[in-house]
Amino acid sequence: MANEVLQEHISNDYKYGFVTDIESDSAPVGLNEDIIRFISHKKNEPEWMLEFRLKAYRYWLTLEEPKWAHIKYEKPDFNNIIYYSAPKQKKTLNSLDEVDPELLKTFEKLGISLEEQKRLSGVESRIAVDAVIDSVSVKTTFKETLAEKGIIFCSFNEAVQEHPDLIKKYMGMVVPYTDNFYGALNSAVFTDGSFCYIPKGVRCPMELSTYFRINASGTGQFERTLIVAEEDSYVSYLEGCTAPQRDENQLHAAIVEIIAHKNAEVKYSTVQNWYPGDKNGLGGIFNFVTKRGICLEDNSKISWTQVETGSAVTWKYPSVILKGNNSVGEFYSVALTNNYQQADTGTKMIHIGKNTKSTIISKGISAGFSNNSYRGLVRIQKGATGARNFSQCDSLLMGDKCGAHTFPYIEIKDKTAVVEHEATTSKIGEDQLFYCKQRGIETEKAIGLIVNGYCKDVLNKLPMEFAVEAQKLLAVSLEGSVG
Amino acid sequence: MVTDKLTATHQFIEELTKHSGKAFMSATDIGQALRYLEENGIPNNKHEDYKYCNIEAILRKEFKTITGKENDLSIPDLKQNYVIISAYNIYVFNGKLHSDPFDFPEGVSISPINNASTEYLHNHLTKYAPSNGDALIALNTAYADRGMFLHVTKSFNKPIVIHHINSSEGNLFFNVRNLFVIEKNAEAQLVEFHHASNNKYFTNNLTEISVAENAHVNHTIIQDAGAVSYSINTTKVHQQKQSNYTNSCFTFSGALVRNNLSIAVDAEFAEAHLFGLFITKSNQLVDNHTLVDHLKPNCQSNELYKGIVGGKSTAVFNGQIFVEKDAQKTNAYQSSKNILLSDDATVNAKPELEIYANDVKCSHGTSTGKVDENALFYLKARGIGEESAHKLLLQAFAHEVIDQLKSDTIKEKVSELFEQSLQD
Repeated sequence: MANEVLQEHISNDYKYGFVTDIESDSAPVGLNEDIIRFISHKKNEPEWMLEFRLKAYRYWLTLEEPKWAHIKYEKPDFNNIIYYSAPKQKKTLNSLDEVDPELLKTFEKLGISLEEQKRLSGVESRIAVDAVIDSVSVKTTFKETLAEKGIIFCSFNEAVQEHPDLIKKYMGMVVPYTDNFYGALNSAVFTDGSFCYIPKGVRCPMELSTYFRINASGTGQFERTLIVAEEDSYVSYLEGCTAPQRDENQLHAAIVEIIAHKNAEVKYSTVQNWYPGDKNGLGGIFNFVTKRGICLEDNSKISWTQVETGSAVTWKYPSVILKGNNSVGEFYSVALTNNYQQADTGTKMIHIGKNTKSTIISKGISAGFSNNSYRGLVRIQKGATGARNFSQCDSLLMGDKCGAHTFPYIEIKDKTAVVEHEATTSKIGEDQLFYCKQRGIETEKAIGLIVNGYCKDVLNKLPMEFAVEAQKLLAVSLEGSVG
Repeated sequence: MVTDKLTATHQFIEELTKHSGKAFMSATDIGQALRYLEENGIPNNKHEDYKYCNIEAILRKEFKTITGKENDLSIPDLKQNYVIISAYNIYVFNGKLHSDPFDFPEGVSISPINNASTEYLHNHLTKYAPSNGDALIALNTAYADRGMFLHVTKSFNKPIVIHHINSSEGNLFFNVRNLFVIEKNAEAQLVEFHHASNNKYFTNNLTEISVAENAHVNHTIIQDAGAVSYSINTTKVHQQKQSNYTNSCFTFSGALVRNNLSIAVDAEFAEAHLFGLFITKSNQLVDNHTLVDHLKPNCQSNELYKGIVGGKSTAVFNGQIFVEKDAQKTNAYQSSKNILLSDDATVNAKPELEIYANDVKCSHGTSTGKVDENALFYLKARGIGEESAHKLLLQAFAHEVIDQLKSDTIKEKVSELFEQSLQD
């Protein structure tokens, strides 16, 4: 019985696995200074940007790929990746009519219809979307509406051209190119991304969203997101990702930087659904991402929420540096792995300012042959008086071939700090299942119910639009995981 | 960088080779250990397991030369100074078992490890502590030239107290290898007591313990080796069916104390209990590493470690729980609690769970903070002075660990040491 249900689940198709037939403009395979110059030239970048890239590249050459994570994978061949691939564009686009119809179809299939968005613009709940295909931003919606408020929301490349002073000031502030192996690689070869700037005192009236899609084969996706929230501002930012089904492992190495000034609040939500590979673990995306925010000044707040269901290998730690006094960092995560997926994810909370607070809620679910690890750091620096942290990491195991692991690092150098960490690992309780079944709920549905309840603390933190998607995603990914 | 590190290790190995004595290890084991050591070097903070405990740097800084001389001690003095009543007292100087005859209970035999029967050495030695995996184990296997063999075949109810007393001149480094074999259905209470000394030395102690079917072992380690002692204590335990092993580890002094305790729960219905208490001050570095490896189903483990961390000291707790694929129905609990007394002290905690079986119940919790303000207020409201109230709360905190000790005389001794360390 259990096997049948499991089989059924395994045969579930990854519904985003299609390839769009769009002509793309690519760089030759490989990585060297010429390729970086090529990317920079393609992007029409100023000299300082090229220099930043080359510095990062030269530094990257001195690094070795880190091996400490609890994951096994075949090291990507960095000389066998196409570092630049863009849907062919002949001119700058001004309206949706000019967008390649194939591209629009892609987005409709993905469930984000750019046109729909436009038409619904009168409706209260709206999302501004920056769509990124193969690491080039193809279309940003609602730009004009946002501009009225003084909000800048555009592709990274556009920001380099139009707001060079802001980019120069903030890029690399939180994740310098010397930060880590994949961070350095991204700094050298990133092709686009999103830039978002919320001016002083502005509450962003709509959710901002980036949609990432890897389309071309043999490419890597390297994008950068930079969010700057000035004093007293607020923004909620969403990120979603999908990729076609391929036998090869494609590399996604992104950087997200968030800077929150005094009293500012940034909420960053991710629903990550990259192609996870097939049931035998063939193919899938390597998702090696550096995400970090800094609460630069007093009373600022950064909140990360993530639902991780995709990718063959996930390796990411959205972190917060709590520098300003009374600043708050939050991390809510649901990570689900099935088949041969591997996830090593968690967060880092660095308390520097006084009375800083952080909350970590992590829910891991492993099924099939997968391995799911939580790895987190809570560091209370000397002088971070009154710092407070609470961490809770729960793991749920489905099936006897998967693994769930917890590796929290807790470093405390201040006696007034209060730090708590707790973790549990278990399977779905027989009694819970029995209770549901006794009331006429089928096993499948009962499991869905229990798992959704288990993840409730995190799902509640997602914006409406994403919460629905995330719940469905969990239900699909879980179908038949327990017999 | 890599070559630097290996050079440092090489120099150290050379020094050691000059001063090493007769070994009881098999040549194959020594060869393997040396190879591992040469490949990996003495661990520094780049090693995940030694992230907060840079052994290489300490050796390089504090033990450039290891040409220290061992002093002789006289037994009558010792017996006068180090005796625990209603227990069997055994004396070990600088890692060497003193040859005086002891009045053992029936079913217990103790000998220097060099004199142990080859049958036991062959069956147990390096079986629970293989050299591949930890350079300090390899170091011990390659260079240990002293230690003891303890064999228990019958139950007895008085604790055996092993007094470790070290006395030397100059910098001394030595590797001690012990083997404890507890046979089927036997019950033993073992206490290892490391006494304070004013001499500067580095000991790399390694004890392998085999707990046979239905055997019960209550093992207590008391670290009070003095402000200038450096010690690594590795305890490797192997548990058979229905056995019960309890370890209580108390650390009161020592410039560097690294306690590595690892227990392989290798048969069904076995139980392991781990308790720890450490009180650190001045510049001490106390690093507690525990590992419970659940290999078979239906076993239980339970762990409680508590620390009171003051001065400029650093305390580390790293507790690993492994549950292997076959180990269904495992119950494993772990809890670590720390109190920070000063602004210059550091606590690094890393509780880990690695679980590959699904029908298990495992949890860990760790908390770090100061003494509870509400509790303090409660006591003060009842007319107890701030200082006494503070002390009372620390006592209550520590006694959760101390009170579970089985033998009253040992409990008394540990309480005494605890009170002393609160005074300082």
